Amino acid sequence: MAAPLKSFAARRALLSLATLALVGALALAAWLGAAALRPVGLYTGWLLLGLVLLLAFFNARKKLPFLPLLNAGTWLQLHVYAGWLTCFVFALHTGARLPGGRLEFLLWLCFIVVAASGVSGLWLSRWLPPRLARSGESLIYERIPLLRHRLETEAKALVHQAEAETKSTTLADFYLRELGGYFARSPALLAPLAGDDADYHRVKLELAALRRFLNEREAALADQLGELLEAKRNLDAQRAGQRLLKLWLFVHIPLTYGLLVLIGAHVWLVLHYSHRL
Amino acid sequence: MARSTSSAPHYPGSTAPQAPAKRAAAPERWDKPFSADMGETDVDLLLAHPLFISTQPGRFPASIPLRGILKNDARLRRFQKGEIIVRQGDYGHSAFVILDGAARVFLKEPTAEQLGHRRQVRPTVWGSFKRWLQRPRFAEQTTNRRSAAGLQMTRDGEARIFLQDVPGVLEPDRTALLGPGEMFGEIAALGRTPRTATIVADGDTQMLEIRWQGLREIRKYSPEWKQQIDQRYRERSLRRHLAETALFWNLSDEALGLIADATRFETFGEFDWHRAYNREREAGERERLEQEPLIAREGDYPNGLLLVRSGFARVSSRYNHGERTESYLGKGEAFGLGELVAGWRGKFRPLRHSLRALGYVDVLFIPTAVLEQHVFPQLTPEQLAVLTKDLAPASAAPQPDHTGNSFLEFIVAGRFINGRAAMLIDLDRCTRCDDCVRACAATHDNNPRFIRHGPESGGVMVASACMHCVDPVCMIGCPTGAIHRESINGQVEINPDTCIGCSVCAQSCPYGTIQMVALHDDAGLPVVTEETGEPIRRATKCDLCIDQPAGPACVNACPHDALLRADMRSFDDLNRWLRR
Ligand code: HEM
Repeated sequence: MAAPLKSFAARRALLSLATLALVGALALAAWLGAAALRPVGLYTGWLLLGLVLLLAFFNARKKLPFLPLLNAGTWLQLHVYAGWLTCFVFALHTGARLPGGRLEFLLWLCFIVVAASGVSGLWLSRWLPPRLARSGESLIYERIPLLRHRLETEAKALVHQAEAETKSTTLADFYLRELGGYFARSPALLAPLAGDDADYHRVKLELAALRRFLNEREAALADQLGELLEAKRNLDAQRAGQRLLKLWLFVHIPLTYGLLVLIGAHVWLVLHYSHRL
Repeated sequence: MARSTSSAPHYPGSTAPQAPAKRAAAPERWDKPFSADMGETDVDLLLAHPLFISTQPGRFPASIPLRGILKNDARLRRFQKGEIIVRQGDYGHSAFVILDGAARVFLKEPTAEQLGHRRQVRPTVWGSFKRWLQRPRFAEQTTNRRSAAGLQMTRDGEARIFLQDVPGVLEPDRTALLGPGEMFGEIAALGRTPRTATIVADGDTQMLEIRWQGLREIRKYSPEWKQQIDQRYRERSLRRHLAETALFWNLSDEALGLIADATRFETFGEFDWHRAYNREREAGERERLEQEPLIAREGDYPNGLLLVRSGFARVSSRYNHGERTESYLGKGEAFGLGELVAGWRGKFRPLRHSLRALGYVDVLFIPTAVLEQHVFPQLTPEQLAVLTKDLAPASAAPQPDHTGNSFLEFIVAGRFINGRAAMLIDLDRCTRCDDCVRACAATHDNNPRFIRHGPESGGVMVASACMHCVDPVCMIGCPTGAIHRESINGQVEINPDTCIGCSVCAQSCPYGTIQMVALHDDAGLPVVTEETGEPIRRATKCDLCIDQPAGPACVNACPHDALLRADMRSFDDLNRWLRR
């Protein structure tokens, strides 16, 4: 935003009010138009097309970073509130009913999925980052596999060290039984939504329970293993969270292109059969 | 600045580092002399030179003899006609004395191109569009193998920069002549401030170059040198600096002159603080704080005002068994003013805080008497009220701000307070989409100039991007002046045409934000030198999108308002941003 932002809450309140006002105005215009027997469907259709193009242009804006065309922060605000407005115009246009034709149904579904993915993406984008930040060090996604490998190697080295120094296989057995699996596993897709990492807590508890069988040296090494365990927990959290934050866009963006194609076909058909083309 | 137990000779209140060193062994820095070519005969000749005739070697401690200083901290250099010795705006760590020949100092600065800088172009949309159209396919692709006009490499790999268009530029009415025996560059070297003028050799010239450590020792142990250096500092730099200080704005020239005459100055800490900083990073914060040279001590009674002329100082107060950081001071900021004003009004107060050097600090000490005579009577009742508010001893509870004290401790400990445009990422809002990284690559030779990773505290990350520091350590020692500060907005930029890939800047940057990258040709193959076949490397870093009309691409590309290029000198702005 050009002007320094005072608070997110104030901005949210202002833009929500503005959007609601527009929604009210549009509802009134549609009602009056219908009463005056104007082709309201045609008007809302063109408006919807314009709005969808505006929303889709966000992608183009991101690809042209040199343009002094408002910054991406402003664009996202525009996108989100115009997005809500578009959902309303969509409801007006379709009369909030399931459409009849096959193309129309496909178009309807496509819009619903794009809009729904947008809404859930927005929620994820606001809900996940603070949780990732509290989880631990922020990691670069592409480097996570390498870091995981490094953790695993370090854990193995510790276990070997314990075996060599104490001539006991207790920690090594524990590695085979519990730790190895934990270090090798990758988190489930929706893990971040499930809350705490149960697996981590279980392994940590087992490690703690093992302590009373360890001598001093082994206990020190077990503490180091505990630190690696904690690092792996954060690694999983960062990986799963960041993956989810990217994944929803794989629905939102490709379907946007699909939506544009379907809209093109829809517009052509409508105009063709209403003899305007 | 206070009645304390300190034994420092000319700077009451300070305990460290100018207290006479009690080292038996030679300074560690002498393990690596300034120049390996400095022979005993050179030193003998120098000691017999009029420059050092009146300098008494006996005043120097046995561990730091004058002879040793000349041998290890000085070197002899020859310059040719038109060769640039120092350039306005550059940061240097040494002073020069003309031994033989002459030099010319510019009264009116030559153009950027004549000095070997690139011409600054005003950013335009069309220009950035064209650059986007012509964006390279490979990272750091270049077709330019020519070095910049004026840059010459000697056979032993030394870079020399010559002034362009010498006869036209060196006209006598634009320059003043400096002859044998004249010294220059000592103010910038000791004060760690940019060179204030450009000086070029006027014909074959021999110079004695003394690095700052040596100069500091000579000033300390030779009253003649101290008097000469301080005198010139008072005349050339101090008055202007005082005039720029808010407290003295409405003073007459005469009063300013009296204040300048009474002012004492001293430097604290190590010029090469970045090396110590990297070494001590592992040490606990408490040990680190205790090692910071103390400039003024909490609880002492002040007898003068401290003004920071360059560098940074930590303001702290005792809290249980440790010391809590209260704030930090940078250039132009004062310490102890409130206490002094209270004393002037009859309520003597001890200092509420301690002041410690963070890295290298250059401070001015203005005695109470001149302030009471010339400055305090000018203060308005409102100013007095503000100054004497909060003079009770520091409260035990940490200040209530959004991030608590930990964020302040974090940015001071990490020395991020040095940043004029530090890249802060609000991790509560960042979705890790990397749009900032992509936008940076798209506007910079297909190679992002920062890494979206770095130290974090309280949900804020300081990403590894050039901070365009107030105190740009990276600029010290660049042999060609390729890394320089732009005059428009003060960004630190690297001129790719004069960068010779020596990596001095990359090694100096305490924050590790300068990357050495290999250049590629149109086919994506590394560009190599004709002589050795080695890949040509170049130093790259964030240039704050100096050529983009819309400003930093990283900020503009962030959809979630999570990225800020923060001027760390303003902690209030920072807090406001964090509290949005
Ligand atoms: C129905 C029509 C919509 C279309 C055609 C559409 C299209 C797009 C496009 C093309 C992008 C750009 C993604 C990129 O290049 O990175 C995007 C991003 C986004 N959209 Fe939508 N969108 C629609 C509705 C919505 C709605 C209703 C919302 C939420 C209220 C929404 C929220 C978002 C968010 C949060 C982003 C991601 C911004 C980011 O993290 O970079 N969208 N959308």
